[in-house]
Amino acid sequence: MPTERSPRFVDIVVAALLILTVACPLAPAALAQTGGTLVIGLDQEPPTLDPHASPSAVTYQIIASVTENLLYRAPDGKLVPWLAESWQSARDGRSVTFKLRRDVKFHDGTPFNAEAVKFNFDRIVDPKFKAGGARAALTTYAGSKVLDEHTVQVSFETPYAPFLNLVASGPLSIVSPKAVRETGDQVHTRPVGTGPFMVTEYVAKDHATIARNPAYTRKAPWSDRSGPAYLDSIVWKFVPEAGTRVTTLESGETQAIYQIPAQSLPRLEKNTGLRVEKTPWPGAPRIWLLNTTKPPLDDVRVRRAINYAVDKDALLATVARGIALKAFAPLTAVMLDDPALRQAYPFDAAKAGALLAEAGWQPGSDGIRTKGGQRLEIVLNAIDYGGGPEPTVLLIQSSLRDVGIDVKLKAQARPPWYEDNYRCATHGPVMFLRSIDPDGLFSLFHSSFVGGNFNWSCVKDAKLDQLLEQGRREFDPAKRRAVYLAIEKLAIEEALTVPLLDDLSVWAYRANVQGAKYNFNAYPVLSDVTIRR
Amino acid sequence: MLTYLARRSLAVVPVLFGVTLAVFSMLFLVPGDPVKIMLAEFVTTPDQVAQMRAQLHLDEPILKQYGRFVVNAVRGDLGTSIRSRRPVSTEIGENVGSTAQLALASMAVAVAIGVPLGLMAALARNSWFDVGSMIVALLGVSMPSFWLGLLMIVAFSLHLGWFPATGGGDLWHLVLPSVTLGMIASAIIARLTRSSMLEVLGQDYVRTARAKGLAWWGVVVRHALKNALIPVITIFGLQFGNLLAGAVIVETVFSRPGLGRLIVGGILAKDFPLVQGTVLFVATAYVLINVLVDIAYAFVDPRIRFG
Repeated sequence: MPTERSPRFVDIVVAALLILTVACPLAPAALAQTGGTLVIGLDQEPPTLDPHASPSAVTYQIIASVTENLLYRAPDGKLVPWLAESWQSARDGRSVTFKLRRDVKFHDGTPFNAEAVKFNFDRIVDPKFKAGGARAALTTYAGSKVLDEHTVQVSFETPYAPFLNLVASGPLSIVSPKAVRETGDQVHTRPVGTGPFMVTEYVAKDHATIARNPAYTRKAPWSDRSGPAYLDSIVWKFVPEAGTRVTTLESGETQAIYQIPAQSLPRLEKNTGLRVEKTPWPGAPRIWLLNTTKPPLDDVRVRRAINYAVDKDALLATVARGIALKAFAPLTAVMLDDPALRQAYPFDAAKAGALLAEAGWQPGSDGIRTKGGQRLEIVLNAIDYGGGPEPTVLLIQSSLRDVGIDVKLKAQARPPWYEDNYRCATHGPVMFLRSIDPDGLFSLFHSSFVGGNFNWSCVKDAKLDQLLEQGRREFDPAKRRAVYLAIEKLAIEEALTVPLLDDLSVWAYRANVQGAKYNFNAYPVLSDVTIRR
Repeated sequence: MLTYLARRSLAVVPVLFGVTLAVFSMLFLVPGDPVKIMLAEFVTTPDQVAQMRAQLHLDEPILKQYGRFVVNAVRGDLGTSIRSRRPVSTEIGENVGSTAQLALASMAVAVAIGVPLGLMAALARNSWFDVGSMIVALLGVSMPSFWLGLLMIVAFSLHLGWFPATGGGDLWHLVLPSVTLGMIASAIIARLTRSSMLEVLGQDYVRTARAKGLAWWGVVVRHALKNALIPVITIFGLQFGNLLAGAVIVETVFSRPGLGRLIVGGILAKDFPLVQGTVLFVATAYVLINVLVDIAYAFVDPRIRFG
């Protein structure tokens, strides 16, 4: 009967409303649960946690939310204020003036100011200090001038546009001068920064712990809220063996892991209790640097033929399944993307064959092309740790055989691999380069880097040199982009390289861990992370 | 006895000399310029290369370098790690305890499994138990430790959740790595105990003891096993070397701190001083432990003392 039904309905509504009113105040807390410890398994132990001394990405994965930079580079590539409120580059391009925040303190309580910035940059170039990647980031550094307590001017001997991006990258992050002066070597395990987390413990070969900085009241540039981190602490466990690392995530011993082997990825992606996140790396992709000086690769037609012949889709379907994207140019797509680049060299074996024939290489009896009785042989310089050369080069070998090129793999240990690259002794290696600024191409293509790191295409081209130097001087973002697009087009036109794969930085989490973000470097920033219980 | 001890200790000197020579020449056997290799990942200036060369004394004559290496090593100065910039001896000091713990625990596991298994196989010679346990032992000898380690992790950490898969510190973390390493050593000890036991069981004094009417079990344990274990003691010393080698892999699989991880990290980072120092330390420890085993051998077997 309706009369009986309606009071019951009202009861239910009242009960529901009651529950809602009780539950509502709790809801925001339930959405953003504070507290808890996140255990993350990393593939390696950092050589040091000192941002200025490290040569290694793993350092910055750990301290991305411990030490802060003057500027922040968001995943979309935009520079935004961080420890600096604003910045102004001089008209001659030889200095940048930063206005600093006034409300920042280091984890040891000392104030952050212009003196601290000067101390940090001077430390990096001090010949007595063994700097890591930071030294190259301050190429031609002339000094810093403290204009007032919260204004600092950083100068260079020549115009240096890459500095703006580099000052937003881990190697130029700021540590406490007091801690450096007083604790000396301890900076290697306990860098003291200004960020939402602080390093509290370091156990060699085992783990590093970072804990919430309760005094952090600012808004981190990646966050949409002010205040300290949600988590109590994060334990970074060093688990070098990939199989073990994956198992610890599945068993719950860790709640996140980095560097997932391609063969385990499908299993993790199928597991509803887990979530996989992928971020593109900035820099140069996995790339074959073609030695342009060694015949037959001194003929641009042969180099172009190789670009048409390498089947990148096969690479993506097999060895790089799920952990990379197709590469098109000497910079990864996140650095510079353009339709013109994406159209270059689609997989086309027929075109490759035609180009080779045009260069005088005719099909031979054993399937390998010949010219004047000489077989078309190419030596690819490959690293072998003892388990055979990496699968990427094996696939290149089979791709090129299909068009009549015999690729010999010079599989060797790292030291002689480097030596061969310096001496331009082979037809080039497959390598990659992590770099936050397109100026990374300078070391790849500038003639002054032949015989060093990393101009292993052994290219000496006046036009390229001029463009690379221009890129260093150009501060205007649009004009800079145009310069590097021109460089990339030139590199593609001349087929200096074979871009293979844009590697992805792959992280996997337990499903209840949420809120990880990544900066432009593809390092995780974790102050908004929560663990749902 | 004293002469034996003196002779045995003196014999160590040329061995250790050989070890220093081998470790020192590592740097020169690797193809390429060691300084360039160490700085390979950096964009470097010639100044920095020269500075590094001077810091490692690579600009001096080789004999002088070797002399410095030996003298410093005797003083306990094994150089400075390039990667961590800390003294190599400090790095070793921090890691040796964990590896020693692992080696001792594995040895305990190896003996606890190997000796009873070998003993029972010998007593039940040619039975299904004998054949079965020796097949298991053969599998154990052939099983690569990284594989066994991963199986252990999948079974006892992922599926059963009894033990943690990674880390060092307490006993709980020691179980899986020491069982992995000990299982492999136990296979060798089981096979050796079995053959040694079979040999002893056929001796006259065992038959005599039985003929006197002593209890069978007493004869086995007091007369036969005591003698059968003498060759097994030698194997302890040799197995210790295998355990250290296995630690390189097991420590990596189980993410456990220790000398093995230290060496692997050093090799991957091309940290020559660290690798040289650690290898020298491990080799010296191996030599010394074998000397101790030899001396222990003389105590348990009078034939050696007076031979």
